[in-house]
Amino acid sequence: MTTADTYHIPSDRAYDREHHMWAQFDPASNDVFVGIDTLGLASLGDLAYVTLKHVGQSVKRGESLGTLEAAKMTGDLIAPISGTIVARNDATVSNPGLVNQSPYVDGWMVVIKPSDWENESAQLVSGDGLPVWVESEVKRYRSQGWID
Amino acid sequence: MDWRLITDDDVAASFGLAADEALAQRVGMNLSQPTLRLYTYHSYCALVGRFQNVDNEIRVEYCRDNGITINRRPTGGGAIIMGADQLGVALTIPGRGDDTYSNARELMGNFSEGLVRGLNQLGVEARFRRKNDIEVNGKKLVGLGVYRAPSGGLLFHASMLVDLDIALMLRVLNTPFEKLSDKEIDTVAGRITTVRRETGSRIALDKVRCVIADGFVSAFEVNLVPSDFTSEEHAEIEKLEQEKYLSEDWVYQLTAVPDSNGSAKVKTDAGLIDVSVTMAGTIIKAAFIGGDFFASENAVADLEASLRWHTSQPDKVAATIEKIFQSRKGEFNGIQPEVMIEAVTKAVARARVADSQMRADPYGCYVNPGGAYA
Repeated sequence: MTTADTYHIPSDRAYDREHHMWAQFDPASNDVFVGIDTLGLASLGDLAYVTLKHVGQSVKRGESLGTLEAAKMTGDLIAPISGTIVARNDATVSNPGLVNQSPYVDGWMVVIKPSDWENESAQLVSGDGLPVWVESEVKRYRSQGWID
Repeated sequence: MDWRLITDDDVAASFGLAADEALAQRVGMNLSQPTLRLYTYHSYCALVGRFQNVDNEIRVEYCRDNGITINRRPTGGGAIIMGADQLGVALTIPGRGDDTYSNARELMGNFSEGLVRGLNQLGVEARFRRKNDIEVNGKKLVGLGVYRAPSGGLLFHASMLVDLDIALMLRVLNTPFEKLSDKEIDTVAGRITTVRRETGSRIALDKVRCVIADGFVSAFEVNLVPSDFTSEEHAEIEKLEQEKYLSEDWVYQLTAVPDSNGSAKVKTDAGLIDVSVTMAGTIIKAAFIGGDFFASENAVADLEASLRWHTSQPDKVAATIEKIFQSRKGEFNGIQPEVMIEAVTKAVARARVADSQMRADPYGCYVNPGGAYA
């Protein structure tokens, strides 16, 4: 098994390089689903608690869209894009373990109506850039002690 | 390399917590220097962990009647009481962007090492237990927590028991005990310890503070420069204090993950094992192991600590219990690990059933989080 398999990063969405949040554009609604990727989760451990901002609240790229407590620390969930929250996944709030179990499907966190998707998505990593980024992030996380 | 050393005493809970969070954010933005704070709170305050429900953890009425303030930490973990005999340790350093500070696990190791080296100077044989405790022979002496600010700044926080009024703590915190007697106090005294107990002296808190500072100098190879908050920091701390730590929305916020409790008793030839667990969703928050079997108090404390904030996955629970039994051969006096695994697994399963029932009951205690601090 390769490191890319161990820390599965699907190629159908884009990723925040620093905070390991994913963003998946839905062309039907022009909205963006947001969650946390497996590398981000590996650095945190099992999630015990999650809070998310409410529907209707605005979020800004690089700022908090919620908070979490995991086995290794507490901290903020950082928005990968700016916009307004149009839906949130209450199942992840009442059962944070769902995020660890299914980070890309059932464990999505919020849906954001983006305010500047064109420019902000260009700052995320996606497509052909993913394999190199994943490999380098695995190395970085490992050298920094976030993952084994 | 220079770090600032800030020592302050008798601080209000709202100020102490706001200062820690504000410095973590500022240090992450390179607006403030890395800082070690060694401080005490005004006696007494009760501080819950980031996501705990105050009513579950604290006897609020008792606190109100006795002038004990209640607040919420930015770091996780369980509820504690703090006052003049408990040393608060807060280290704020950048979490990224500078290779010097990049290794998180190493940093946590160093943070703990700073505390351990300081305690060793006093002759206290302390050791770090991964995630959140420093202990002496299985008894908790220091609780640890980590908070990562949005700026990437890291706050490593510790509460060190220089001394502790256990009876007061049991009156302030909600505990599994139905009544408060000498037996319950003795039980808790068997799980935790203090610097004064370990040194067998009435050592002054200031002396402890000095050796802990020395420990950090040694572990991180830094110079500590006595300092104070800048006026800019003071203004930010005060703003955060007013907007957050003095706000009831922050202190009394509710979590959507209800606590659930389960217990199980297993009879063995060596005696009865009575296990109670408190769960937050799928995580074991706390375990209490009682009964009438004979075992080393330290071994039982060690086992309970190992299960604290532990996943409830049965294979991982079993692995942890087996590891403790391996490392403490003979101390459980005839109790087999398989029986302990059975008792803990049953208690967890019962807590999960209770959790499912609460979630299915629309009038149960499932509450969505609200307020300004989602």
